[in-house]
Amino acid sequence: MINKISRRTFLKLSGATAVTVAMASNLNKNVLFAADEVKKKEVKKVRTFCEMCTVRCSMEVRVADGKIDFVGGNPDWSATGGTICARGGSSLSQVYDKQRVQKPLIRQGQRGENKWKEVSWDEAYDYIAKKMAEIKENYGPETMAFSCRGGMHKKYMDTFANAYGSPNTFTHESTCPFARTVARDIIFGTNGVDIDYGNVKYLITLGRNYFEGIHVPQARNVMNALRKGAKLVSIDPRFSVTSAKADEWHPIKPGTDLAFVLALTHVIIRDNLYDKEFIDTFTVGFEQIKDSVSATTPEWAEKETGIAAKDIERIAKEFVAMKPKAVLDWGWRTATSPEEIELRRAAIHVNLLIGNCEVPGGIFFTKNAAMLNQLIGSNVVPSIQSPKLPKFPKMKPRVDGAGVKGDPNYFIPKGDGVVHYIPEAILTEKPYPIKGWFVYRNNPMISQSNTNRVREALMKLDLLVVCDLYLTDTGHLADVILPESTFLEREEGFNDATGGSPKYTLRQKVVDPIYDTKTNWQIFKELGEKMGLGSYFPWKNMDEMRLLQMSGRKELVEQAKEKGFVEFKMPALYLRDPKSVAAFVEKFPTAAAQVNEKGIIPGPLLHLKTPSKKMEMGSIEVEELFPGREVPRYRTVKLKEDDQLYFLQGKVAVHTNAHTHNVPWLNELMPENRLWINPETATKRGLSNGDKVEISSAFGKQPATLLISKGIRQDSVFTYFGFGRNAPGMKRAHQKGTNSNILLPTEFTPVCAMSLHTVGIDIKKI
Amino acid sequence: MGNKRYGMLYDSNACIGCQACSIACRGENKVHDDVHRLQVRIEGPKGEYPNLRMDFHRQSCVMCDNAPCVPVCPTGASYTNEEGINMVDEKKCVGCGYCITACPYQARYLDPKTGVADKCTFCYENRVKQDEKPACVSICPTNALIFGDLNDSNSEICKAIKKQATVKYKESLNTNPKLIVIPNRHGGEK
Repeated sequence: MINKISRRTFLKLSGATAVTVAMASNLNKNVLFAADEVKKKEVKKVRTFCEMCTVRCSMEVRVADGKIDFVGGNPDWSATGGTICARGGSSLSQVYDKQRVQKPLIRQGQRGENKWKEVSWDEAYDYIAKKMAEIKENYGPETMAFSCRGGMHKKYMDTFANAYGSPNTFTHESTCPFARTVARDIIFGTNGVDIDYGNVKYLITLGRNYFEGIHVPQARNVMNALRKGAKLVSIDPRFSVTSAKADEWHPIKPGTDLAFVLALTHVIIRDNLYDKEFIDTFTVGFEQIKDSVSATTPEWAEKETGIAAKDIERIAKEFVAMKPKAVLDWGWRTATSPEEIELRRAAIHVNLLIGNCEVPGGIFFTKNAAMLNQLIGSNVVPSIQSPKLPKFPKMKPRVDGAGVKGDPNYFIPKGDGVVHYIPEAILTEKPYPIKGWFVYRNNPMISQSNTNRVREALMKLDLLVVCDLYLTDTGHLADVILPESTFLEREEGFNDATGGSPKYTLRQKVVDPIYDTKTNWQIFKELGEKMGLGSYFPWKNMDEMRLLQMSGRKELVEQAKEKGFVEFKMPALYLRDPKSVAAFVEKFPTAAAQVNEKGIIPGPLLHLKTPSKKMEMGSIEVEELFPGREVPRYRTVKLKEDDQLYFLQGKVAVHTNAHTHNVPWLNELMPENRLWINPETATKRGLSNGDKVEISSAFGKQPATLLISKGIRQDSVFTYFGFGRNAPGMKRAHQKGTNSNILLPTEFTPVCAMSLHTVGIDIKKI
Repeated sequence: MGNKRYGMLYDSNACIGCQACSIACRGENKVHDDVHRLQVRIEGPKGEYPNLRMDFHRQSCVMCDNAPCVPVCPTGASYTNEEGINMVDEKKCVGCGYCITACPYQARYLDPKTGVADKCTFCYENRVKQDEKPACVSICPTNALIFGDLNDSNSEICKAIKKQATVKYKESLNTNPKLIVIPNRHGGEK
């Protein structure tokens, strides 16, 4: 190392111009960055899309002399305007990180002992194939579970799982946004409904933290709306960055958001401020809603929430005054109450009451190829196609009952499942055991509640395969580690990025894999071939797959390689906005048949995939499975003992969930979390800023470091989640900060089987 | 055509403290581990609960017209170029650290690898000379930064400055920075 040699010494030693070159040859860590000013670098730019979170922004990556030089946004991608967040920009430090898993590993010694043998891919495949064959033979193929974050890779994972004979594939959804997903499904018959943030004039958020839980297009749109004078009301127990940018902040008592929403509903109905025509035409269940909110007055809600009745009255009236460009964001993940599903449904209902659906500044249905082609009456926009596969073997019902008629998890999308049920199935063996778990870039030891129970379950498995970039907390307990290439080293297919109009992004390899790593489709295809399932992967490579996905239209593939995506110039269409409908019909005259006398296109909104074909504010299906829940009603829940504190968590702008905490540049920005505590609370308990404390719940305990902050209620503490890693292979993140999930319960909240993210904790100085 | 005089407008209301700029700067300028040319700092919450506010602060070289770092440099390594950008000529820098002490904005550091004084250059050599915006400006998710020529009254930056009240950090020092700031409009008290 030459760190200690000063510049002055160098000048004595050598001619000044030679210095950078001499240093470059000596540095190990920064060889990549050694500025070589003499030689002109060979520079190219490659367009792909990001995987540092699941928003998947299109990006442009600069490569100099074969090495990634800079990661920026794609200037042609309108959703981001060529911008990128810190996580996307840091992806290059992930690629060149020496702490990545560099070769497949097979466990030596006891599970969790952290002893590994480097093996070839072939040896790793052989090991997995043999174990999976044994599990199939001894217990049946359904006892293998497969989980991943959603994404393009999921269809390869699902194909592999189904071909093997297991129906049990999962995403991480039940640990994060599931209540919102299920609520949208129940009401709209689809999850493809979004908010037109950029045009909104009045926005109420229930803890949806646009400026820390970064979704770049949303953050941009909300900021643009604020620039244009929109009003933002933040309802959040914590003073987040979003609260700081809001016009008002109401530190609501945790777990009572539904009372606030029902009080808004009460005022809107009581004062006849709702859009009667919209309600009558497009929805069912209004009378039941009206009945259910007769007593949820602002005065009642004040007692529950701590928000003054006069403020609730005022917010309701201001909100309605801005209709239809007013939105109550349904948000996700906060889960401060087991009544999650009712909160998300009730929040959507407030939007429907003011008729903000399918107008600018309101909420809208995704305008995908299928919908547009149907309106136009011909195939104008191609959908992403899938390869034709042989029939899968007959499979047992899912272990979690997702999507099964009559099962409590009937409302759970089969494509997602209840991932945090896997540990329960392992431990209780009900309705049948899970014996093996293939974890593909998903980290249950950090992302699932009740970590101690998750660990107990993992220890009981016959086979745990982890495919990831790092030796993660879950990987630490695995039998086999398959190192995946980072997304910048992967050649992949098209991703459906449709929102207001159809858009498909393409993942392109920016540099060759620098370690002995592979890409998801390659792994599942090769492992499938090893296990005699090759016929389910009847394509050679991604060139063939991309062409197939674009229905053989080479020009679209070429366009995507150049631009990073394909789009189809469609005018913005809001079905209930005569102006945009007219513009759409002008471009596609055949769509005129869909337009009614008011100049709107009501058809798709009256043929939804719900039992009534309309938007279901009241749901008979829900009532049948969960009596008393036809419409949301308030139920008081006890989340903590009187002397305990509410334990709350949230996202931070520089990290993603259970993923980025060991990425060099992001780790440097924020290596650990602290526990926010109100100064009054700290004083009462004799605690000071920076104190090391132990926090404990009925489910576990964790060390924490206190941050005294006025930005949190006196009855609560807060921390950013995803920290407190127990993964020695991730040297930067290992044992830094607090793992919040150790403290949280195993919970399957009614209707949506969502995790609960709030618990009572005790705190003591250590 | 007179010389250009480059400046940057930072809207602290639009800044969300997400550090995207800091990372883009690290990538673009190959800033070494453990040092930063640029960060955004979230200050607060300030005020009394529940009437709180957070201030957002861009921490980087502010490109003074009267730059205290320049006259103190014994070798002439610190200089202001003809387009108003304060630069460091690394070939002349001996790492004495006088400029670091002189800078009232704590914008400079001795690079741990090269021993040379370093700081934000508005990406002058690597981007601005090629008519590209500085990296931080090009990637800011909420478009909190505008870069341009302060001598051109038709430039986007000049038009934006005319529209609203702006301040400069530590204006009383008479450094006259070309990093111009739109201060926080969100007061804590209602």
